[in-house]
Amino acid sequence: MLIKLLKYDLKYMIKNMSVFYILAIFFAILVRILGLFNSTTILTILNGICKGTMIAMIVNIIINTMIRSWVRYNISIYKDEAYLTHTLPVTKNDIYNSKFIQTLIFYIVGFLIILLCLFIAFYSKENWALLRTVMDSITVNLEMSTFWFVVCMLIIIFLEIFNAIQCGFFGLTLGNRKENGKIAWSVLFGFIAYLVAQSLVLAITAIEGLFDSSIMDLFKNNIVLNGNAFIKLYGIATIIYIIIIFIMSIICKKLLNKGVNIE
Amino acid sequence: MELLEIKNLSKKYEKKKALDNVNIKISNGKIIGLLGKNGAGKSTLIKLINDLLTPTSGEILVHGKKIGVESKKVISYLPEKTYLNQQMKVSEVIKYFEDFYDNFDSKKAKKLLKDLDLDIEQKLAKMSKGMQEKVQLVLVMSRNADLYILDEPLGGVDPATRDYILDTILSNFNENASVIISTHLISDIERILDEVIFIDKGKIILQSDADKLRKKENGSIDEIFRRMFKC
Repeated sequence: MLIKLLKYDLKYMIKNMSVFYILAIFFAILVRILGLFNSTTILTILNGICKGTMIAMIVNIIINTMIRSWVRYNISIYKDEAYLTHTLPVTKNDIYNSKFIQTLIFYIVGFLIILLCLFIAFYSKENWALLRTVMDSITVNLEMSTFWFVVCMLIIIFLEIFNAIQCGFFGLTLGNRKENGKIAWSVLFGFIAYLVAQSLVLAITAIEGLFDSSIMDLFKNNIVLNGNAFIKLYGIATIIYIIIIFIMSIICKKLLNKGVNIE
Repeated sequence: MELLEIKNLSKKYEKKKALDNVNIKISNGKIIGLLGKNGAGKSTLIKLINDLLTPTSGEILVHGKKIGVESKKVISYLPEKTYLNQQMKVSEVIKYFEDFYDNFDSKKAKKLLKDLDLDIEQKLAKMSKGMQEKVQLVLVMSRNADLYILDEPLGGVDPATRDYILDTILSNFNENASVIISTHLISDIERILDEVIFIDKGKIILQSDADKLRKKENGSIDEIFRRMFKC
């Protein structure tokens, strides 16, 4: 049943997100095409507009995935569509897991589309070499390859955004439990959950710093990260984010299993 | 074993008691009218049976088991409001029901929709509220369920369509199934009722066989209801 629920959740997201994907790729192609011609004033202006629109679409992909996931969660679990969702012969865990996996899939797809757009619009041997030089200058202190640095950064950014989405689900679950239909509670609980999650990451990093001077130096001095500190910091943040996301999921499922109150 | 058994069920909204110690037993093969004034607790009771509300105390058993995945397989519920995803076409909703309910008969649904002159390729968002309600009724009655729960199925429709809806209900459930119809339009459904449950201020004040009640009180269910609930 999870697969069936997921199929419909993905369909909903595709219907709503595909327009942003298509527009982002379309403007990336336009940027590329306009870049092929000798630059004139008009072409430069047009290229600037296309670049701006492409970037707006990329930002839209990130923000819309987040907002649409929250809206979908709220409508199908707590609003009118809940009359259908909660009367389907499926478990509450499946309902939650479907929303969770749908969001995960659309964030991965969104990331890939963004990378594709950037590649289409800006890839050239010169740009690539320039990017590598910049990245090498960053990673030289970290004593790690540029490739692994980029992978680490993408994973942590992904977890950070996914954590924010999870806080939204958590806020909606708690808020609707407190008072169905009042979105203010959901926003408040979601915001508190996000602050608590961020504070936890910072607090646990500080605690690790008590046992590791290279981490504590980040709190005490204005220093450049070295490889050892980066790996530890990255490891701590990744593990804490995954644990927080996991714990919030379990709480959401437990609360859903206790029952809902649909008005 | 009873089809539906409700034991000591109560539901509180903060300080207000919406349902107070409700006990009901419903067996197979009956059409039951759940009758009461607006705000009497009919919809609360129905939502509790359908897992849309959490009881404050008491329990609900379907075929002896608590409400859950198994009970949802055999209960077909028509809510008071339109609840389907407005972005979907009727044909997509039919596919949706086919996917989730093993007992859904899509051929029957398509036939009923055709009888009602409803276009299955039309989006729900483009349909009037009345048309959407008809689509929902068709979907619910196209399931081969053990218990149909219809919350105000006649609420927003014209008298001519009411007759069609009642005929649809009568001709589309098997003899072993039961139907609970919640309404305050008693005269419209009186002719099809086997049993009646009167509910007022969250309490069941009467559960009786419809014919016995008519004989005992020497009047129609509608008249008895008006007498009992006179303001």
